[in-house]
Amino acid sequence: MKHARVLFNGSELDVTVEENGQLKSKADGQLINETDVTWLSPIKEPGTIFALGLNYADHARELAFEPPKEPLVFLKGSNTLTGHKQNAYRPDNIDFQHYECELVAVIGKEGKNISREDAMDYVAGYTVCNDFAIRDYLENYYRPNLRVKSRDSLLPIGPWLIDKDDVGDITDLRVTTHVNGELTQDGTTADIIFDVPFLVEYLSKIMTLKPGDMIATGTPEGLKDMQPGDKVVCEIEKIGALETYIVSEQEFYGDKY
Amino acid sequence: MTNNPIVKGKLVCVALNDASQFEAMQAEFNEAPYKSAPTQPVLYFKPHNTWNTEGATVEWATSEGAAAESMVVGASLAVVFGEECCRVSQDEALNYVGGYSLVHDFSLPEVSYYRPDIKGKCLDGSAPIGSVVVPAADVADPQALTVVTKVNGETVSEMPVSQMVRGVAELISMISYIMTLQPGDVIAIGFPGQRAPIKQGDKVSSAIAGVIELNNVVGRV
Repeated sequence: MKHARVLFNGSELDVTVEENGQLKSKADGQLINETDVTWLSPIKEPGTIFALGLNYADHARELAFEPPKEPLVFLKGSNTLTGHKQNAYRPDNIDFQHYECELVAVIGKEGKNISREDAMDYVAGYTVCNDFAIRDYLENYYRPNLRVKSRDSLLPIGPWLIDKDDVGDITDLRVTTHVNGELTQDGTTADIIFDVPFLVEYLSKIMTLKPGDMIATGTPEGLKDMQPGDKVVCEIEKIGALETYIVSEQEFYGDKY
Repeated sequence: MTNNPIVKGKLVCVALNDASQFEAMQAEFNEAPYKSAPTQPVLYFKPHNTWNTEGATVEWATSEGAAAESMVVGASLAVVFGEECCRVSQDEALNYVGGYSLVHDFSLPEVSYYRPDIKGKCLDGSAPIGSVVVPAADVADPQALTVVTKVNGETVSEMPVSQMVRGVAELISMISYIMTLQPGDVIAIGFPGQRAPIKQGDKVSSAIAGVIELNNVVGRV
């Protein structure tokens, strides 16, 4: 089942996404057309957002890095989250902002010291995120730092959370990004270096994982600069296609700019 | 572990903000892997599993069932936001502060600042926050505050806010241009560069004289 959260007539609704694409309110069964809603992040109470750097063998090569021997994990604030078909902004006066299409495992059960063998019992399901990065802001301190990776709106996520059992095997899913209709990133989760069971085990040795925590598993090669006006679609086979519109900093912040 | 009632969304900490540490590290900053000194505040999150309370016993870190060799603690003034704070100037920054408290950051020793220190900084219950938020109106000038930390009654650090690389208003402004801060978000504005080593069973107490205190005990494995 696909679980989403939308804004409909000014209220936040928990919905399921039906076979025909219609949305069905979990509260009263009302059927709603997608065109009548604003999509929100599918995770109602977001917990810790983990993201992986350099976790695809091909992407590490692209950035001229040796594949890491240990996961490169960084955290993102909940301010970064936005939904499907929403705006994300390009900061003023930068040279390079790229998308990163990523498979996200969402934790469904609290656990600490979880073994690799048991790890999938703690995963509720999956979604797709676009973990934008501003390369201009990289510095060699807690790299990639919060200025690069924890900006408002720069983690679109969704469109929905799909139950783990509806996806099955995640070890060879096609990962693509289209910018304005052009295929710019085309990889497979088969190139993931540290997989979901490994990451659940690794992180839960350090800290307790809780429902609503998310693990964004990194991105394959195929980086491209983004400009206001661009439409980016990040898609993962069997999970979903997440659409995002790039706007300028001024357009995004409006009166607060 | 007990979730703290004060911090609700994000707990953002500022590293390398002790001016004396920053000066002392200049040579190191110019070498690999850093290559040059940071031009921006060096920030890290303490995620929600770390939030803890006044009086709490903080677990000693373990890895694969074995006790960690060493742990350290630092204390910081905690700026607690009272209203949404997005892209504010340094001059108006303090208007968004609901109040002030204290944060203890228990962690593994800060060995390197090159990569995000998930292993060192994300330990369960490792970020206790004071039991009260002192209203901003009762603190005339946060720059005039000094955070004193004692381990087993002995003073291990005195960190005046005035001796930080960046002050409270400057940090609020800079961070608010990266991320919108919400009511209940907290910024720990800076810790002593020399984190205090601790042992299992130690009592760690920090205070801003006449304003607030924070007391924790280090657990035993």
